[in-house]
Amino acid sequence: MVKSAPASQKPSAPLVAIPLMEKLLATAMAKGGDFAEVYVERTVSTAVTLEENKVKSAQGGLSQGVGIRVISGAKVGYAYSDDLDEAALRRAAQTAALIAKGSGAEIAFNVSRRPQPTFYRVEQALSGVDVSDKVALVVQANRAAHTFDKRVKQVIATYADQTKNVWVCNTEGHLASDIQDLARLSTHVVAEGKKGERRTGFYGGGGRVPFSHFDTFTPEQVAREAARQAVATLGAVDAKAGPQTVVLAPGWSGILLHEAVGHGLEADFIRKGTSLFAGKLGQKVASDKVTVIDDGTMANARGSLNVDDEGNAPQFKVLIERGVLKGYMYDKLNARLMGQAPTGSGRRESFKHMPLPRMTNTYLAPGEETNEEIIRGVDKGIYCAHFGGGQVDITNGNFVFEVSEAYEIEKGKLRRPLKGATLIGVGPEALKNVSHVGNDPKPDPGLGTCGKDGQSVPVGVGLPTVRIDNMTVGGTRVG
Amino acid sequence: MTTAYEALAKKLVARAKKRGAAQAEAFVEIGRESSVRVRDGEIEDLTQATSKGVGLRVVAQQRLGFIYTSDFDPTGMDTFVDRALQLAQAAAPNPLNGLPTRAALKGDTIVGALYDHEVANLSPEWKIRAALEMEKAGKAFDSRVRTFDSVGAGESVGEVHLASSEGASGSYEGTYAFLYAVPVASQGDQLQTSYWVDYKRFLKDLDSPQAIGQEAARRAVRMLGAKKVKSQKVPVIFDPMMAASFVGSIAGAANGDAVFKKSSFFAPLLGKTIAPRTVTVVDDGRLEKGLGTAPFDGEGVPTRRTPLIEEGTLKAFLYDTFTARKAKTQTTGNASRGYRSMPHIGTHNLYLEPGTQPPEEIIREVKNGFYVTAMLGHGANMVTGEYSRGANGLWVENGELSQPVQEVTVAGHMLEMLKNIDAIGSDLTFRGSTGAPTIRFAELTISGE
Repeated sequence: MVKSAPASQKPSAPLVAIPLMEKLLATAMAKGGDFAEVYVERTVSTAVTLEENKVKSAQGGLSQGVGIRVISGAKVGYAYSDDLDEAALRRAAQTAALIAKGSGAEIAFNVSRRPQPTFYRVEQALSGVDVSDKVALVVQANRAAHTFDKRVKQVIATYADQTKNVWVCNTEGHLASDIQDLARLSTHVVAEGKKGERRTGFYGGGGRVPFSHFDTFTPEQVAREAARQAVATLGAVDAKAGPQTVVLAPGWSGILLHEAVGHGLEADFIRKGTSLFAGKLGQKVASDKVTVIDDGTMANARGSLNVDDEGNAPQFKVLIERGVLKGYMYDKLNARLMGQAPTGSGRRESFKHMPLPRMTNTYLAPGEETNEEIIRGVDKGIYCAHFGGGQVDITNGNFVFEVSEAYEIEKGKLRRPLKGATLIGVGPEALKNVSHVGNDPKPDPGLGTCGKDGQSVPVGVGLPTVRIDNMTVGGTRVG
Repeated sequence: MTTAYEALAKKLVARAKKRGAAQAEAFVEIGRESSVRVRDGEIEDLTQATSKGVGLRVVAQQRLGFIYTSDFDPTGMDTFVDRALQLAQAAAPNPLNGLPTRAALKGDTIVGALYDHEVANLSPEWKIRAALEMEKAGKAFDSRVRTFDSVGAGESVGEVHLASSEGASGSYEGTYAFLYAVPVASQGDQLQTSYWVDYKRFLKDLDSPQAIGQEAARRAVRMLGAKKVKSQKVPVIFDPMMAASFVGSIAGAANGDAVFKKSSFFAPLLGKTIAPRTVTVVDDGRLEKGLGTAPFDGEGVPTRRTPLIEEGTLKAFLYDTFTARKAKTQTTGNASRGYRSMPHIGTHNLYLEPGTQPPEEIIREVKNGFYVTAMLGHGANMVTGEYSRGANGLWVENGELSQPVQEVTVAGHMLEMLKNIDAIGSDLTFRGSTGAPTIRFAELTISGE
């Protein structure tokens, strides 16, 4: 991916004045905490939904508030308030302060900015784009989906965006701010075949992009892809249950990596010893073909950040290099407790949440073979073209993901569409079974949202074509 | 304070009408919550917060607009209302748009108590002690429980105020307290986890911290040594937690909107027998002390008890006002929402009625089968009815729980699964607002080796 040249984005006027933020830090430290942080957020969102050929509604919203965190040793106090008056914020700071049991006088703190890179720039905030332009996108998508094929019966087209302003400062004297735009256009299609058979398709994308992104990533493109999936899987046969050779299409399949290995490399799980990857730094955890990167600096990607939600710069991090575990993803708290430096991975859903170590854009580095070569090499297997979602149990490493568009591979060729297939595996084992990696790296179109501890954050994933041997395919057909 | 929020809701409605809305509805939510987690005998974190918000729905020239804010600054309220009307102008006119009628809003809204002063005044010390007891009980249960992913306690106190131009007007407040434990057990190279949890509106109904800690540990430890099994078709038992998740999928298929769009495999089956007579699935907005109990739904319509499946027959779908109008039927009082979202169809307290068999007997009748205690993934497709999820649990051999199993999937078609239910336990369990007893399917496909 191309990265934009580092340049400073013009900071906006803080929602809470800087002297008040400094005062809140002092209040938060009054009981003798080791560290305090004030996070201020204002998010404006818009959404339009089209269903049954009608723009059902246009929606807007505003959410704003302040989250105050105090760390004392390994203990954390957190309080938030959506009331922005000084008295309410002081109360929140006092509440968070109670985690430290000491007593002491308030010490003054001064915060200042450091130079900050820009990986997306907000020229005209999405919140300032006329809602009728957003409506036009879903109308065009609806038309294109219906035009694609007569068998398309239901179309739901959704556009949603948000403009999030964040300011974060801490007792280390650091102040950072960012404007984070995020847009997503998506289309869900139901196609009807013979005997009332119904199949679904889903596609969409966006990212931290200007509204003009949808001039090139067009609603027609989005709708046609969703419709194509639905129509292509009509007449699908049951997937065969059991271990098989699996080939993953490039792009969105990267969610396998996100589930199978990404979560297990987040520092909180490592520190608590609840991840299968704890204590394995420097060890071989995957096949030689596997190099995994988490990169918060990709231009305009959905998971990118100019600063993370603790004010740290995002990084390009090699997590696994040629199969060897190289590093974990750290937020401030876990880095502190583990004697490491934060990796710009501290993220939170909103001011209502404490930051956690999270992925940004996670992808697999490319190999040398073409997609065709990889498929040609499979005698019997399954090609996974598109996915629903996935989930992982960090502790035992079990992960699943649902394949929404799949094909049989027979003697190196794609054959009939398959339905009802789910992939299941144990993270490290699946990584050891990666036998071929394509030369066709592809980021996902900007679809991903990751959930952890009840917090959702936007993420990117990516993958070239990948072959995994001996992977269990869930299905209904035995023998 | 309560009256101030009621007044705010009414004021927004009046303002919207004045600015040209044919109909308007304001939904105010106020809440506070507090929680604590512990680790190795010490506090890990303590969170405390208050929050509030209002969502405003307007219909103008048959167009629907919606807006929300967490900013109650009175000087911004006029702009807020105008913005809702502007948003409505961007939507298409639809004669079906509209709030519940006065007739639909009528009816009694008397439900039992939802608010417990003890929960509302729960001290941080109580929560810290409870969390520490859970951790201690879990570790004492088995030495292989080395650590916890998390273990904590907390409470939530909330109130709702609703007003509309069609005469909706009401408020209620509720509480709940919760305990949860997520232990990690280790043996050799393997780590296994599980969890146990309780949520109750009243403190005196909450399980003891010790019981939660022990049960969580028991569930984690018994998974140590888990491995794959061969792909095969066998009888499969879902424990009450997994059965509740299956019941949730069934309710998803009974969503009136999906049915109307023929995007549910239930669409053509109303009035048909779809399960054995032993199967009755109910959504009950009035269940005593239910976590999902409320006097009225997200648009002010009184809640009720709606059997979805009664003695094996598909009896009803769930509706909010808009979808009911589309489908030319009546709302079932199932509009679900928070202040940030428009009403959409959801359930209140959803459950599968218990049978008479003790769960041990349901297991004892199985010679060779799979007892599922955890699932991964969301693989229930409402459009097609396909069901395919990652599953963990214990193998059943000659009527007894034996080898732990992981890394397999269970799959079937939900209509076949319903027909295949051949045992329902007496152990109806709620850990949240969806409940179920142990159930057994005569046969499901397991994919493994």
